[in-house]
Amino acid sequence: MSSSIQPPPSLQPLLQIEQLQVHYGSVQALAGVSLQVQRGELVTLLGSNGAGKSTTLRAISRLEPASSGRILWHGADLATVPAHRTLKLGIGHCPEGRRLLNRQSVAFNLELGAYLRRDRSGIAADLERCYALFPRLAERQQQQAGALSGGEQQMLAIARALMGRPELLMLDEPSLGLAPKLVTEVMAVLAELHRNGQTILLVEQNAQAALEIADRGYVLEAGRIQLQDNAADLLKNPELKAAYLGS
Amino acid sequence: METLLQTLLNGAASGGVYALVALGYTLIFSVLGVINFAQGALFSLGGYLTYLLLGGKIGVNGALPGWGLPIGLPFWLALLLAALGSGAIGLLVERIAFAPLRRRGAEPLLSLITSLGAGVVLVNLLQLLMGAEGYAFPQGAAGLAHLPESLLLGGARIRTIQVLLLAISALAVASLSLWLDKSRSGKAMRAVAEDPTTATLLGINSEAVVRLAFLLSGMLAGLGGGLIGMSVSLAGPYFGISYGLKGLAVLVLGGLGSVPGAIVGGLVMGLAEALIPSQASGWRDALAFAILFAVLVLRPSGLLGRRQLEKV
Ligand SMILES: Nc1ncnc2c1ncn2[C@@H]1O[C@H](COP(=O)(O)OP(=O)(O)O)[C@@H](O)[C@H]1O
Ligand SMILES: [Mg+2]
Repeated sequence: MSSSIQPPPSLQPLLQIEQLQVHYGSVQALAGVSLQVQRGELVTLLGSNGAGKSTTLRAISRLEPASSGRILWHGADLATVPAHRTLKLGIGHCPEGRRLLNRQSVAFNLELGAYLRRDRSGIAADLERCYALFPRLAERQQQQAGALSGGEQQMLAIARALMGRPELLMLDEPSLGLAPKLVTEVMAVLAELHRNGQTILLVEQNAQAALEIADRGYVLEAGRIQLQDNAADLLKNPELKAAYLGS
Repeated sequence: METLLQTLLNGAASGGVYALVALGYTLIFSVLGVINFAQGALFSLGGYLTYLLLGGKIGVNGALPGWGLPIGLPFWLALLLAALGSGAIGLLVERIAFAPLRRRGAEPLLSLITSLGAGVVLVNLLQLLMGAEGYAFPQGAAGLAHLPESLLLGGARIRTIQVLLLAISALAVASLSLWLDKSRSGKAMRAVAEDPTTATLLGINSEAVVRLAFLLSGMLAGLGGGLIGMSVSLAGPYFGISYGLKGLAVLVLGGLGSVPGAIVGGLVMGLAEALIPSQASGWRDALAFAILFAVLVLRPSGLLGRRQLEKV
């Protein structure tokens, strides 16, 4: 690594992706994606179905290998990091479709969220914090995760990711399949986490809801970044309005 | 004339060993969704290792006739080391028969063939080393000598070894359940069993969990082989195969992938066999599989199985 040309740590993005390409066999899912997330930011990655949003997150979590390009975390390349080490490094991933342990209880799911941590009192405090954030989970601690409603499952998925105390929280379409009232509720929680300093990379198809709480946004189309701007400007962007904001 | 108590105890004792074998299958099935067909061979291996560690000598048809350890170990140490040895070979089976297929993303069913192959090789190696003859365990094996041959229990004479067999398998089964339930690594295994990708995102090294499953599974098989060797004898290198098949029947009987199912299934199978009068003992295996068919007709997912197995 050429440390001489690296910016001072304060300017270095937390996450920086450069010209990332990912292939599934011969199918190219990402054709050179570049984006960055600064400490404390809420960045949203928008795009329609099949644009490559989930693939981007899966590549950051090292679930998919990059065929070219770099993913820098605190300035260091993740290329040789195995997937199960990414959370230890501070990258939390709340995956598409929630992926709860459906046969296990709510409490077990949250406990496993803190699998890597050894600080018992910190874990207990975070558990309290999660139950305060999502009171409905507190009432259902002993229920099987699979028996929860869709909204509750999404809340559990977010809470489980928070239990890992990630420096960066990545969420893959948390609003998918939720009634509008629940979408508002979930977005309000994310906005609150953001206000408290949590760095968030939010993947969404619901551009309106995501841009209302985000600092910046990227729009992904067929594996390429088509637009990037401040959230406020993206909300006014005519191209985006036509394509995603339904007006 | 056997009393009912004797019969039930004998049944529970062999049921305990069936449960050990079935739990070995269960661990691997839970994390990989496949059956390790080398399990029966590991059972044989455990029996032979226990025999040698107790100070038994290699017979005339073996590779080193008359060879043996200078001293025999106490039975509990011999059992423990034999279990660990079988566990280590279980890990090797994973490396050879399972890991390469997983790395290449091959059809999981192929591991049925590769693990069967590993088992056949193992049994043949045992035959090469020990010969095809049966072995009775050293008389009054070290550490067992000071125990009485039989106990008087509720007016019935009961072989001490049967009580020991039941106690040891019960202990192994209980510790395994407790471990799965309470320990950090046991919880990690349950997470991998349900969703390996999710487990990975939570920081769990699922490959390490798979290896742990093979180690424990091999240990359970090896322990079973040692116990049966002590209470009956080693009938030849293939003796573990029939226990492996019985364990497979118990696995299906209890419900694939269910830990309590494997325990209950083992006991049902052991007790049912024991209740067959000894003059009809030729029917024992037939009965075992008749029970299996009957249960599967009534409950296709087994006694305690989930109604549907999750799709992988
Ligand atoms: N496992 C896979 N195998 C093959 N192609 C895939 C796989 N996963 C995703 N793809 C393809 O990659 C592209 C991007 O998918 P994805 O990242 O899931 O998009 P998004 O999350 O934006 O909907 C799509 O064309 C999709 O069909
Ligand atoms: Mg997606």
